[in-house]
Amino acid sequence: MRRFLKSAGKSESPLSLLFQRGEREAACSAAGNRHAQAKFVLTGATGFLGSHLMAELLRRGHAVLALGRSAGGSTLQERIARQLDWFGLQPASEQLQCVEADLLKPHLGLAPAAYRALCRPATFVHLASDTRFAAANRAASLATNVGSLAAVLDFARDCSAPFFHYVSTAYVFPAESALCREEPVALGEFANIYEESKARAELEVISRCRDLALPYSILRPSIVYGDCQTGRSNSFTALYHHVKALELIRDIYLNDLTNQGGAKSRLSGIERAPDGTLKLPLRIVLPRKGHLNLIPIDFFLAATLQILSAPRPDTIYHLTSRTPSTMEELASFCENFLGIEGIEICYGAEPGNWRPNPAEALFNKLIEPYRPYLSDTRSFDSANLDAVAPEIVAPTLSYPIFERCMRYAVEVNWGATHRNGSGFPVR
Amino acid sequence: MKAQEFQEAAGCTDEVLSTAHNCRHYAMCKVDFLGNGVCASGPQRGFVAFYPQGHMDLYAALRDGGAPVTSGALAVADSCDLCGKCDHQCYFVTELRPTRVMRALKEHLAAYLQAGGRVESEAEDPVLARIREIVGDQWATNDRAIAVTYSHDPSPIAVPKLPAYVVLPGSAEEVASLLRLFKETGIPWTARGNGSNILGFELGEGAIIDLNRMREMSFDEKNWSVRVGPGVSAFELQSAAVARGFRVHVAEPAALVLASIMCSGILSLFATSYGTSAEGVLDARFVAPDGSTFSMNQKQGPNLFAFAPAPQTTPGICVSADLKLHPKTDDEEGALIPCSTLAAGLELSRELAQRRIGFAVGVLGIEYVASFMAPTQELANQAKQVFGERLGMACLVLVLGDRYAMGSLKQMGHPLIDQRLFRTLNLGLPHLASAPWLDLLTQLALDEPFGYLKAEGFAELAETALAPSPQRLARAVHPELREFHEKLYARPELTDLVWLNMFRITSSRIGREKHFFPILLYLPLEAGLIEELCARFQAIAQSRGIKHEVGFLAPIDSGKRCIFEYDYYVDQCDAGEIERVREAVGAVAAVIDEVGARTGTLRWMRYVLYQGFCRMENLLYTEVPRG
Repeated sequence: MRRFLKSAGKSESPLSLLFQRGEREAACSAAGNRHAQAKFVLTGATGFLGSHLMAELLRRGHAVLALGRSAGGSTLQERIARQLDWFGLQPASEQLQCVEADLLKPHLGLAPAAYRALCRPATFVHLASDTRFAAANRAASLATNVGSLAAVLDFARDCSAPFFHYVSTAYVFPAESALCREEPVALGEFANIYEESKARAELEVISRCRDLALPYSILRPSIVYGDCQTGRSNSFTALYHHVKALELIRDIYLNDLTNQGGAKSRLSGIERAPDGTLKLPLRIVLPRKGHLNLIPIDFFLAATLQILSAPRPDTIYHLTSRTPSTMEELASFCENFLGIEGIEICYGAEPGNWRPNPAEALFNKLIEPYRPYLSDTRSFDSANLDAVAPEIVAPTLSYPIFERCMRYAVEVNWGATHRNGSGFPVR
Repeated sequence: MKAQEFQEAAGCTDEVLSTAHNCRHYAMCKVDFLGNGVCASGPQRGFVAFYPQGHMDLYAALRDGGAPVTSGALAVADSCDLCGKCDHQCYFVTELRPTRVMRALKEHLAAYLQAGGRVESEAEDPVLARIREIVGDQWATNDRAIAVTYSHDPSPIAVPKLPAYVVLPGSAEEVASLLRLFKETGIPWTARGNGSNILGFELGEGAIIDLNRMREMSFDEKNWSVRVGPGVSAFELQSAAVARGFRVHVAEPAALVLASIMCSGILSLFATSYGTSAEGVLDARFVAPDGSTFSMNQKQGPNLFAFAPAPQTTPGICVSADLKLHPKTDDEEGALIPCSTLAAGLELSRELAQRRIGFAVGVLGIEYVASFMAPTQELANQAKQVFGERLGMACLVLVLGDRYAMGSLKQMGHPLIDQRLFRTLNLGLPHLASAPWLDLLTQLALDEPFGYLKAEGFAELAETALAPSPQRLARAVHPELREFHEKLYARPELTDLVWLNMFRITSSRIGREKHFFPILLYLPLEAGLIEELCARFQAIAQSRGIKHEVGFLAPIDSGKRCIFEYDYYVDQCDAGEIERVREAVGAVAAVIDEVGARTGTLRWMRYVLYQGFCRMENLLYTEVPRG
């Protein structure tokens, strides 16, 4: 069994284990000859996971029908073209079809003739998702994550889809769960509306697919970051979110110390060490010691493609890390990368007399929605994934991987300016 | 020899003429709102022509051939000592620099005389002689160079009218004599305060009665009352009241208090607790058009408390009024609550008024807030982009209140910009526009809009990031005016939300980029109704290429009703745009009449003219026949 080396410095990407050079060339050639292979219907193709999956399916010569919506003044076609440009792809029009659809409406909100014209056998991968956590977004989250299933599953039925793959999240289990198995989850207490809506959606998928006699799988990735080999990413949320926040806070104080005399910084005990390191006292208070389950996008992609290539009916897969990161490790990575010191992880209740400095107060406010994941104690059984892809294992997030990913993020200004000069949305 | 022939000789440039043409006629040069004094000749000579605003109009008229060179014109030019105070005042409000117009006026007339130009004299006029018998020779004129400075007002769509006479009475008796004379001679008259009415109601071709000399202001503290003459401006009255520990309910700083009440009632955020129309008035005395006198408390007098939803004629000239004094406390503060939708702002303002939290409440559009906070238009545009697009604010709810009101706001859980943070944002504005750390705020707002405002120590972090100071803000203004602005912004009141709103300074910059025409309504504080009107006003403006924005909204009478302003912007020097706005206002009138007929609850400002002393309940709740 080939596994990721812990250092991951020169290790092979999970994807490369599946698709050796020759295979890739053959796939590209197939695409070039316009002999498309199996057809896929994708939702969420403009998102982080969806765009990577779309790109890889296109590289392999598959035909893809992408369902989505216009946003920010751009049509779906334009949004997807920007994504593919980032991947360096320009698929033939016969290979990729983009259809603006309203997943909350019957027949996807399309005219009957247009809808009928789309109904051709294809494997479905449903990734579209509202990833916001706030209770204020409850109605929108439930609509996007649960409400949309009716139209998408009806469409799968009308297409005589051979298989329906649903991309969920590993965090559909209550926070107090110890070992989470690859089994249907029961509804319970959830940390946020995202978890709840994904759990409800899973139950809906299972129920409707059984009614329709439609084979299904559910993929449960944990928290996904960029490509562990190249550092590239086209989304900078989750892990990036916090590192970027620390960078911005660091820069506020560096500017104060360098250009404004630093009086404000010194009031908070912030100063510059002789070696240039910024001493930034920043205590992060968490209820208990735990870990953060992080996987790279290339692992997600390799595992997903393996599942798609040999689908097992009615199966749930955990796409998670066996070696989750501790907060202490991540804090140390951030300190090294940003040239700061002073991040301290504190466990238990906040001391009654704790008076956070402004940086601490703001950072703790920032991580508020993510607290359940920062001191998480859940572990994930991945027997089903091991059975279909024994050689694909998520790498441990080492400092070299972290640095590679963050360096790329900084280079493209956290997505504000992409390396090739084209604008790229952060979210 | 015509005046235009001397343009080059006088060293005039089109830029100077453009400055003169762009005078907004807000009369802010007539009040000492910056604390550095006003043009000396204005208070001494009384006529508008002797204030910077009049100099601007006269210069433009001479250059455009709209007025001859008269002895009055020479007196106006001579009266200016080029002190530069008008630069400070006008730059603050409009970013214009009038001093170069003042200089150009002197040079223009000097060149004209040197070239042998004739100084015209007005013909003998028996009516003028009788007017002068009443008010004294120096307080009445038919000099066209003086009169031309009364031919404009701040309405960008009003048609200028050149009056035959301008007269400044000094007492109620003189006003009565004048009205009898005008009735006898059939001369139409128009009463004028500081000429700052923005709806075009202060122009006339007969006699203009400028009430600026009637400046009585006497406090009766035991009766919580102040007697005010029609020549007292809002800024002057508020200053005097605040010096005695009180507050009064007034309109924009340069607006004369009684004129504001007469025309529209007082429209302000303080209407939340002080009401509007007759709510602020204990008694008022009038001279009727026939020269007779009456007062509001007179049993047999005209019933000014009544309101009719139809155009009215003037009941006469208000020659004095006793206004309410309101108490102040020493713990008053202001806070701004950002909202991501207008509907959220409306609902919040209604709730605050209903719960009686704060003594002044208003929903402010982003254009309104950004315009005020920024000392230049360029910075205002950046601020608008930051607040609106990057930080996702659709509007801000301003609340002024005591410490208990501020405590209630915090208890309600709203993210808010308190007084300290407002000062930081205002004085650090040049850094805010380009700050990379805005991304941090965007991140923090992903799950809870404006959630960062709740983080303890956020104001301090913002201070660290923005390094706010008067010097920093002053760097945004013209280098010649930086020193003045540094001193100006070092004064705490310039960033004090209570002072800025009490003296109505916040709205003074709304017409800086372009003049504006306000659509003003009293109506129920219902989000659906207001959003419908906004959408229709927006559609009317967009189809004609007119800039448009929500201005402000203030709840009245426990949030059951509100004052609402929607603004159309217009380049006052662009005839095409003026025409388009005139058309748009016609379309707006049709919308208001239609919605008013449907709901029976709208009161458009054009029907309030001359009825501003009516009982508030009659104004807000009198049944209107429905269509």
